[in-house]
Amino acid sequence: MMELNLFRLAAVFYTAGTAFAFVYLYAREDKWSRWMRWCLYAGAAAHVASFGFRLQAFWAIPENRFFLPINSFFGALSFLALATAVVFVIVEGRHQLGILGAFVLPWALAASWGAVWRASQMGNTEIHGLVPALQSYWINIHPAVLMVSYCIFGNAFGVGLALLIQERQVKSKRPSELCYRLPAIEDLDSLNYRLIAFGFPILTVGIIMGGIWAYGAWGRFWGWDAKETWALITALVYAAYLHMRIVAGWRGRKAVYMSMFGFTCVVFTFIGVNFLSELHGYLSNR
Amino acid sequence: MAQSLRIFRSVKFNVGLVLAIVAASAIGTFLPQLSETPEKVDLFLHGNPFWGKIFQALGFFDIYHTKWFMGMLGLIAFDIVVCKLWKLPPDNGLTALPPEFDPKAIEAKLDTMEAAIRQKGMVAEFSCRAAPAEAMSAVKRMIVGSGYHLEPVVGDAEERSALVATRHRVQRWGSYVAHVALVVILAGGLIKAAFGFVEMVPVLEGRSRELQNKRGWEVFVDKFTVKYYDGTRNPKLFSSQIRVTENGKQLAEKLITVNDPLDVSGTRFYQASWGAGGMFREVILEVGEGKFLPIPQRKPTLIPGTPIKVTADVMMPNFTLTPDGRADTASLDLKNPAVRFRFDVGGKLTRSLWLLQFNPTVAFSETQDGVLVHAPDPPMKLADVEPILFSGIQVAYDPGYPLVAAGSIAWLLGTVLLFYMHRRRLWVLINPAEGGSRVLIGAWSSRGDVGFKKEFGAYVDRLKAGIGPAGSSSGPGAAFAGNLEAQS
Amino acid sequence: MQLVLVGVSHKSGSLDLRESLGGVSAEDALRRLKDAGWSECVVLATCNRFEVYAATSNSGDVDALATHLQAWSNGRLEQGLYSRRDGEAVSHLFAVAAGLDSLVVGEAEILGQVKQAYQAASAAGLTGKLTNVLFQRALHVGKLVRSDTGVSSGQLSVASVAVTLAERIFGDLHKSSVLILGAGTMAELTARHLLSAKVSRLHIANRTWEKARTLASALEAEPVRWEDFPRLLESVDIVIGSTGASEPVLTKAMVEEAIKVRQGRSLFIIDIAMPRDAESSIDEFEHAYLYSLEDLEGLVRENLSMRRKEIEAAETLVGAKSAEFAAWLQEAAAGRQAALRHSADAAPRS
Repeated sequence: MMELNLFRLAAVFYTAGTAFAFVYLYAREDKWSRWMRWCLYAGAAAHVASFGFRLQAFWAIPENRFFLPINSFFGALSFLALATAVVFVIVEGRHQLGILGAFVLPWALAASWGAVWRASQMGNTEIHGLVPALQSYWINIHPAVLMVSYCIFGNAFGVGLALLIQERQVKSKRPSELCYRLPAIEDLDSLNYRLIAFGFPILTVGIIMGGIWAYGAWGRFWGWDAKETWALITALVYAAYLHMRIVAGWRGRKAVYMSMFGFTCVVFTFIGVNFLSELHGYLSNR
Repeated sequence: MAQSLRIFRSVKFNVGLVLAIVAASAIGTFLPQLSETPEKVDLFLHGNPFWGKIFQALGFFDIYHTKWFMGMLGLIAFDIVVCKLWKLPPDNGLTALPPEFDPKAIEAKLDTMEAAIRQKGMVAEFSCRAAPAEAMSAVKRMIVGSGYHLEPVVGDAEERSALVATRHRVQRWGSYVAHVALVVILAGGLIKAAFGFVEMVPVLEGRSRELQNKRGWEVFVDKFTVKYYDGTRNPKLFSSQIRVTENGKQLAEKLITVNDPLDVSGTRFYQASWGAGGMFREVILEVGEGKFLPIPQRKPTLIPGTPIKVTADVMMPNFTLTPDGRADTASLDLKNPAVRFRFDVGGKLTRSLWLLQFNPTVAFSETQDGVLVHAPDPPMKLADVEPILFSGIQVAYDPGYPLVAAGSIAWLLGTVLLFYMHRRRLWVLINPAEGGSRVLIGAWSSRGDVGFKKEFGAYVDRLKAGIGPAGSSSGPGAAFAGNLEAQS
Repeated sequence: MQLVLVGVSHKSGSLDLRESLGGVSAEDALRRLKDAGWSECVVLATCNRFEVYAATSNSGDVDALATHLQAWSNGRLEQGLYSRRDGEAVSHLFAVAAGLDSLVVGEAEILGQVKQAYQAASAAGLTGKLTNVLFQRALHVGKLVRSDTGVSSGQLSVASVAVTLAERIFGDLHKSSVLILGAGTMAELTARHLLSAKVSRLHIANRTWEKARTLASALEAEPVRWEDFPRLLESVDIVIGSTGASEPVLTKAMVEEAIKVRQGRSLFIIDIAMPRDAESSIDEFEHAYLYSLEDLEGLVRENLSMRRKEIEAAETLVGAKSAEFAAWLQEAAAGRQAALRHSADAAPRS
């Protein structure tokens, strides 16, 4: 099956890219950063090709035209992996922070190998006909918008992690070479904030889109379903972070912990909820 | 603002309140909720009597509708108004003058401004040969064309003057609009809670049901259709032809399907779900090779050529066994239909047999106390079932929705303004100097200095090129062309 | 054509070069050599070395050069004069340019000095094909070694180590403000380092108001009254402790008060006073980074030893490049034209 083989190839490239990211973290030469980027490009290319095959199979079912095939765990994880890699390449390009690859790319790795595992568990790449509730143009927008925000928050989490490490390094009185390779503490703090500030409106718009869709499909904008609730919880935690930083002027460790707590909510919203939700259990094998 | 309101205006307090809402919301996702799965609530209470009682007393099984939860939401709305909305966005324009200065004394104002500019993170200073007035007009020309809004020049342009210019001033409204939007959305939610309703109305095909929330209203389902994806039991489509009447008078009719509801003056009828309740018109029993016997529900039917009468009485749409071996259904969709057949001869029950439509080799005998036992090699097959389906119609009335929708748009607008728009301010102070003037420029950006530094450097370079030592000739077209922006 | 080198350096003898060859500047030496008939030579003169590189077809010229140097030093250069030819001269020059022959291994200044020497010789019309290629190659190798090995990384003075750390905390220092407690050369040196990193504001506090004023005017800073400095702790980013006090002047209590207002912004305290100016318990605060003189000196020692470790890699690189050049030299000497690639060198890493 072409789609799965190409996807596995993409996963291998992402792994290589992540490995180069770690090497770059400790070695001196710029060439590792270049290798990392080339692996990401190659991975994305294979991924997009794999996605092409997926679309072909998905749209073979008439009811699925012309929707995005993310109504399954495999589809969602696959999208997430690609989005993480793409968002990272963009962020890295703008801020020249390839050094943070080691902190961010593992998520792309986890998502892509998670998808491969899922495919082996299910025996296929989960191409199903959409249940009637999902047969709406909203499926092309609402999940994608939310997942892009998750990727941005994933990048912010990586930056936060680098910040904690950097703080520990400088505090230790014997900073290792890593300290001089990572960006400055204040710069990391500022980048963490800016990434979250960028992703926050996207997250909330995604939630609102979900509400509008729900109003059109089930008659109520908000029903406190587990997925809805956890997405809201994520937004509230990040809103708390933004207020503590902008209004109360928090910096450093406390702020980072709050932002990292926000990301654990993201992860829970994406995965954990599938075990709780009655309505959003589409992603589990119902 | 009254002292008593101080706590409500504290960021720490409100962050704490938000985290409390987060905790309560999370609890509602882990514990079963009455509005969604009341049977699971019962199970929990039975299984955990100690904690169950405590949670029940605290309202944890219907947490989102408890007074205290809604009170927290209301408090947040109140706090937003009291913190943020009672005062329009302050204008962070010219530095506020220290009280002892006479606001009319321009010199003092300019002095304060000069000191304030020098304290900014981004400052540049240079001399030029142009006279102060010329320099000021050159600066104005340059800035105006780049989307900056100019405030009136302070001071005497011939001597010493200052200019403040802002780009994307509208950004300062972002936070305000976003917070207004939140209050509006919460208000919409409140209205829905007070005046709206949601009612799940399961209606059997061919029948009707009265609404509980709207006196006299009745929903008729004339026809219900469900279509499956080929070779699977996954539905690809289900729809109902419905009619809505009020006190017998027809109000509307429509073929509704998922994502396509019927709106009757604000009350909307959604095709939300469907299922089989266990009723059926008839089943087809294959009693022997090629011999099919149609059997209506609960009607004892004689098997031709035998003295045996068979009655089909119970159907499970998605057959499963309970832990203690009884027949049950896992859900209401027709994933695994099974029918119970009671065979009697001369009025005496001889056998009770469960047959599965999609698993003809599997059958169960039911004992007198209802326990199922495997029955190998069943002599008959359940060939077909014609169930009577019910259409799950969700009836909803949400008078608050327009507010929620308006609030959502406002939220989008507010956050885009707040986070994505880049408000920039330039202060230009021109002092006369020997041989010309001295230009002092300060800058501020809502996105922080890091992003703005390069751009600021470009501005300064252009200004220098325009009015610096080389290009001090008079007249507009001299020495520079174009605006401050290097690119758009 | 041969390449010869005659010279003396801090390594070849314990001489005070300034005394023996002090009167002779590089320009003087070039002029004298030109007058003496040399057509292609370069003079490298620094505080720690005096070397003449020349191209000649006469093998006896080495001694002639040595004689010149002796003469210039009025005979005081008895020992310590060394000479090299061809390949050895090449590898010596490359090693010098790479900073491997310097007092402080990997130091950056020597590269500029080599460049200056070459430019001076060129201006005096004393360069030719051999010296042109040689010196351009030497500058290239000098840069290559510094970028591809760690031989010149890591700061080697307390002040520059402190600034590097500050940059790890604050990034670009242009928005940072500094408070100096006390006065003294160390404080002033550190302050100057910070100023060259473009910090935005400098405050000087001293028990003696006059001293604060003096230092402040020298550094274009703001003097602060001694009683007022604790309040400044609320807003500054970097504090340099350099008073002569026998007890700490920066107490934990002061910092605790300031931290309440600072809301988690980082505070970097450089305590270069002996005895300490800052209570060591200040380090317990989450966002306070306290580095004492010992800590900074420890970092300097570490950097030094790290540089030393890199010497091997640098030497290997220099060896490879010299061999390459020596081969080219041979070809050129035999009259055969050969190409000497200048760019896209991959550094051989051990």
